[in-house]
Amino acid sequence: MNSKDEILQRLRAHTRETYDMPNLDFETITYDDPVAQFIETTTTIAGAHLIEAKPSDDLNELVHKAYPNASIIASNIEGINAQLNPDTVKKAQDLDHTDVGVIRGEVACAENGCVWIPQTMKERAMCFSAEYLVILVSKANIVSNMHQAYERINFPEVDMPDGKHSDYGFGTFISGPSKTADIEQALVYGAQAARGVTVILTD
Amino acid sequence: MSTDHSKRAAQFNADANRVSRHDQTFWGVRAKRDTLAKGIPEWEQLREAASQIKKHTITHLADYLEQFEAAATRNGAIVHWASNAVEYNSIVSDILQSHNVKKVVKSKSMLTEECHLNEHLELQGIDVVETDLGERILQLMKLAPSHIVMPAIHITREQVAECFSNKGVSPLSQYGVDDPVPDDLSDPTYLTRCARYHLRNNFMTADCGMTGANFGIAETGDIVVCTNEGNADMSTSIPKLHIVSMGIEKLVPNYKSMAVFQRLLARHGTGQATTVYTSHFRKPRPGGEMHIILVDNGRSSILNNPDHWQTLKCMRCGACMNTCPVYRRSGGYSYSYFIPGPIGINLGMLRNPAEHYGNCSACSLCCSCDNVCPVKVDLSTQIYKWRQELDSHGNADPMKKIMSKGMAALFEHPSLYTSALRCAPMVNHLPECLTNIKINTWCEGHAMPVMAKASFHELWKKGLVTNENKK
Amino acid sequence: MKVGLFVPCYVDALYPNVGVATFKLLKKLGLDVEYPERQTCCGQPMGNAGFEGKSKKLVEHYNDIFSAYDYVVAPSASCSAYVRLFHKRIAGHECQAAERTMDVVEFIHDVVKPTQLPWCTFNHKVSLHNSCHGVRELGLSSPSERNVPQFNKIKDLLQLVDGITVLEPERVDECCGFGGMFSIEETAVSTRMGHDKIQRHIATGAEFITGPDSSCLMHMQGIIAKNKGKFSRLDGNGDIKFIHVVEILASGL
Repeated sequence: MNSKDEILQRLRAHTRETYDMPNLDFETITYDDPVAQFIETTTTIAGAHLIEAKPSDDLNELVHKAYPNASIIASNIEGINAQLNPDTVKKAQDLDHTDVGVIRGEVACAENGCVWIPQTMKERAMCFSAEYLVILVSKANIVSNMHQAYERINFPEVDMPDGKHSDYGFGTFISGPSKTADIEQALVYGAQAARGVTVILTD
Repeated sequence: MSTDHSKRAAQFNADANRVSRHDQTFWGVRAKRDTLAKGIPEWEQLREAASQIKKHTITHLADYLEQFEAAATRNGAIVHWASNAVEYNSIVSDILQSHNVKKVVKSKSMLTEECHLNEHLELQGIDVVETDLGERILQLMKLAPSHIVMPAIHITREQVAECFSNKGVSPLSQYGVDDPVPDDLSDPTYLTRCARYHLRNNFMTADCGMTGANFGIAETGDIVVCTNEGNADMSTSIPKLHIVSMGIEKLVPNYKSMAVFQRLLARHGTGQATTVYTSHFRKPRPGGEMHIILVDNGRSSILNNPDHWQTLKCMRCGACMNTCPVYRRSGGYSYSYFIPGPIGINLGMLRNPAEHYGNCSACSLCCSCDNVCPVKVDLSTQIYKWRQELDSHGNADPMKKIMSKGMAALFEHPSLYTSALRCAPMVNHLPECLTNIKINTWCEGHAMPVMAKASFHELWKKGLVTNENKK
Repeated sequence: MKVGLFVPCYVDALYPNVGVATFKLLKKLGLDVEYPERQTCCGQPMGNAGFEGKSKKLVEHYNDIFSAYDYVVAPSASCSAYVRLFHKRIAGHECQAAERTMDVVEFIHDVVKPTQLPWCTFNHKVSLHNSCHGVRELGLSSPSERNVPQFNKIKDLLQLVDGITVLEPERVDECCGFGGMFSIEETAVSTRMGHDKIQRHIATGAEFITGPDSSCLMHMQGIIAKNKGKFSRLDGNGDIKFIHVVEILASGL
């Protein structure tokens, strides 16, 4: 018998009593103004910057204002001026030394500042290896808590560089910059991934 | 009377300031957890739901594993099954060999620690680079983790600075970046920057990224990995080969249940509302491969244990360590198992009682761990139950056995008990050199309690216990 | 209502006054109290040491002598908790006496429910020792780990006492490190826990540490006696002192 069958057989033989799945429809925390709560959470506990964009604002200008010294910007979002495109770089390593990555978040969660970033580019490394990250979030996509967030997240299908129309099968909730407190519990931003994050809220 | 744990704990306590620091650090995390708990009205419902979801999943685990494998395979991942550590290690090395891997970047995984994977790979000449900062520090210092979430918290900044300098992780100038260099080269920000670029070079040149799994989602085949540093994401977005190692108990049924655990994990573990990254890995990268190794290594046997099967609910958040007054004052290395604290006492006993029974003393039965556990594992009751088993394994302390037998004999015979009570005050007059003997470890920290001149029994017999004021 | 008084072994030998105070208090509250003389111990010392099996006869004995009472009341949260939570399992059958066993604070608070204790005066500041089994097994107060409505039955009763100031230490229900056999087996950690706990009690500015468990008090008292002069009160008037909750509630009787 192979290991799989052995394991499954052992599990079935060793289960003594079975339990039902509980009802998960209990009341969960919701905010009267999820947008305000998201702003609060993002700028305090998540440690990110936040800009509320006016309809008249030019996104490129906002990115520039946030990171005026950036010389290499990576993005595949239409209309964003970028020097590197994660869809067309040859390999993930080419995105190293990116100053700012500009990406789009699809769902944002007020209780903890998490923003759902599904992979919509060939090389997702830009979401992590860029020194700074700008995340565009539409206010309409802000929910109160993670229960609501998990109901809404998905892996959108895109036109892939090889011509296929499919999803990349990766997504991540990001809440602020990369952090560590591994040395004597001193909080340091920018452990391995983004040293700073700016969330731009659009209507 | 002593145990392996108490001996090591006594050494740890030789430095009172170190104990204070250790205690304060982890109490601080516990306090942050408490604050967050009080901000969520449905907190206790979340814990109950988490416990029930885990109970359900674990008692239907074979079905959920099959569902998970089918989903993951549909997604294009390659699923392997390992009965034990040896098989697991050889699956990993086979994958690495077939891809001609020279360097692996690894994000923190307690399972690989459990199976001693790093040693196994290093013997084969593979360069294994731990990428969680704490784990990397320990790897360079050749030390084991002392906590499952904050593994290197016992190391001082000066020790890290010295290690980084010896191992070439510092100075920062070698990386050609223009970050400021402080006067104090043991500054945590400076050291973290050095590690950032040192690890960055490793990410860029690795052939394989390995991660553990905080959760596996049966319905979708997702692997969920939670980190604060983003090292799991760095490890898997640059090399094309991703190997996931997951204990079979890590499955949850679906996204709806995942939401419950996402809300609980970081709040319990580090006192944060969330980890910075909660990453869902569903498919291999374009042109890459994703391997998922499902590891049993004793878990399916635990399921059969009526007293201890609920340890399988554990999601390794570390909250029980943070709250444990004994862990906080004895440090991770005082435990013989690589997972310390209340859950570690239990898991060590399940792994190998003969090797780890010495940890069973590390519990004052205060039950705080039961109250912090996000999935309601009855940790203290389980430790109490292990103690009941030690004698039958031949591991009970002989002195304790004599004392317990003696107490039982005394208490079983009320008349013997009352005569003993009458004699008890005589103990007060024994010189300290007699009571302060080696067996009586009580006297290392305490003065002997003073026996009352007359016990309650005697007072009662003499009619002195009344409600009449004696005037 | 017939109440059986259980005076646990170490209270019997070391702190008979606590037993006396319990008796007086229950009588004063108008209860029919009896003290079955053939009682000894609840079995916890053996159980915590890993020899639960050795307390089987004790458990049966306890059940025999206390079954006739409506309530069994003991001035010890830890022993009461052991009886109520563990006896059934050890005996292997239902234990009526165990089910009806209550700690004295719990019993007065939940069953007798006095609204005043006019005989009590205690013009002192006390720091409340919320002992582990009282908090987490009997529910004498809301555990600090949990998000449940805040309550404290000991505090409720003490606040009926004239002149008292009830304080609570930082880390309000952290273990003092007694743990029965734990204190003998893990001396270093147990003593350190005790030191830390005493310091936090002292930091409240209290003159007394009070609690529902003489065992915890004994542990802390032993540490202070071993280290004379190191645990002075903030007011400078000597070492901090100990008193069982019941002795306060029965003060003036």
